[in-house]
Amino acid sequence: MNIDLRSLTIEKAHEHFLNGDFTVRELVDEYLKVIKEKNERINAYLEIYSDIDDQVKKAEDMFKNGTATPLTGVPIALKDIILFEGHIASASSKILENYVATYDSFVVEKYKKEGVVFLGRTNMDEFAMGSSTETSAYGVTRNPFDESRVPGGSSGGSAAALAADMSLASLGTETCGSVRQPSSFCGLVGLRTTYGSVSRSGVIPMGSSLDQVGPMGKNVRDVEILFNAMVGYDPKDSTSIPDEMRNIEKNPIKKRIAVPREFLNSEGVDKEVLKNFEESCEKLKKAGYEVVDVDLPVLKYSLAFYYIIMPAEVSSNLARYDGIRYGLSVKGDNLLDVYMKSRRQGFGKEARRRILLGTYILSHGYYDAYYNTALKVRQVIKDDLFNLFKDFDAFITPTAPFPPFKLGEKMDNPISMYLSDIFSAPANLADIPSISLPSGKTESGLPLAIQLTAPFLREDILFTIGKDFEKLIY
Amino acid sequence: MELEDVKKLANLARIDMSDEEMKDIAKDFGAILAYVGQVQEVSKLKNIESLHQNPDNYFLQNVMREDVSENKSGKYTDRILANAPDTQDGFLKVKQIL
Repeated sequence: MNIDLRSLTIEKAHEHFLNGDFTVRELVDEYLKVIKEKNERINAYLEIYSDIDDQVKKAEDMFKNGTATPLTGVPIALKDIILFEGHIASASSKILENYVATYDSFVVEKYKKEGVVFLGRTNMDEFAMGSSTETSAYGVTRNPFDESRVPGGSSGGSAAALAADMSLASLGTETCGSVRQPSSFCGLVGLRTTYGSVSRSGVIPMGSSLDQVGPMGKNVRDVEILFNAMVGYDPKDSTSIPDEMRNIEKNPIKKRIAVPREFLNSEGVDKEVLKNFEESCEKLKKAGYEVVDVDLPVLKYSLAFYYIIMPAEVSSNLARYDGIRYGLSVKGDNLLDVYMKSRRQGFGKEARRRILLGTYILSHGYYDAYYNTALKVRQVIKDDLFNLFKDFDAFITPTAPFPPFKLGEKMDNPISMYLSDIFSAPANLADIPSISLPSGKTESGLPLAIQLTAPFLREDILFTIGKDFEKLIY
Repeated sequence: MELEDVKKLANLARIDMSDEEMKDIAKDFGAILAYVGQVQEVSKLKNIESLHQNPDNYFLQNVMREDVSENKSGKYTDRILANAPDTQDGFLKVKQIL
């Protein structure tokens, strides 16, 4: 059996399954072969699940009895932060090294019903804190396009697995760019979903007012299929959007895209990235879109607000890891000593740094100046974008300010690493959807991407523009 | 930021830290706090005081549910305790606290 994995998409795989060209078993075996060949070097997967055979059998049964859906039998890589009952979910941290999920996350539960095959869990920045997958406690992941470079992060393992043909689709999570930026670095389509559209039940939290699950695929249609299968109201997540709100009538597409010109002039944006961005805007014009410069001065501050809100929420969310109920536990002289030692040994450097930063931001005397002010300004961003979307379908920027960088290049300079996500922050702060689309390559062959951000619950706009754009690229 | 301040934060956050790491953090925090300090610029740029009047404008609302157990007692006990570092008779075991 020889299957061309490179050109395979979810829809094509489904057709092949229906036509009997190959079985789920045969496809999964092809992926396992590639994993065996490449994973040791790339380090995209931390574990290949031991129950793949059962999952394959279930998927094949669904084809036999006619209940198969487009996702049945699709081999998927799962980020190591999404709970899958009976399997380890470590958030790539030492503190959860042996933590076995006691229940399924909402997303896994939904995908199980579709009969997908979860191949394994993928490497990530520890607790999703990072933009390069280098803060993982389990080693770095390499970019399949250039193994001396990072795959982006925090969902870098999921992106690298898909880009190296070690999965047909991948799931990641985003707090600020963690799906879009690695998708950009690995030549994939990645979606940050509307806040509240996908339940976070069973997703290990980082910044709860920002976290969302998001899919990665080889093209826009794949991402659309993955997205449609993961949305829905869930009473277990208090931020989940009720179904009646999702079904409100949608305004027709205006074919108008805004360019926040001043935001693009942020410090440190690579020349090749900007050139590719301008070319991409021209392509969209040719496809019949009006692409117009706008003035949105508040956007350039987004990342600064993000770095107040996120660490504050991190310090609260990570307080639960204390060595008592689960996870790493280091013996101590008394209870406090157990906490102090377990957290020292369990957390990596970036996690410790962010916990302390959040503790500072939330402490008496600084809370108002930082956290409260950031919350208010967050509302200003939401309002400004709400007004923008009265006249535009979306706004466009590059996904990341620079192409994939070298391993180790930014590890000693937190601010320079944080700036990877400068264009990501507005969507997360404003609770709105945003997609990263491959837009070409640098002269040395590294992937580049553009990013479109649309109003609340308007993923459909992103898919429409994305499909139009895709036609111009290939 | 001074080393003493970082020590205080580490204690509040319940993390035992080496002096060397705390010195690094004190240094990093200078750069990070200067960066996030931009938030003050924006609060001057826009009249955010109007948002003060109604906190509902910028705080998420609580969504409440009935405080009832949906699962049969004991359904998850074994699975949950299997993750615990130390247990006894179906309870988590910790160091003496009194």
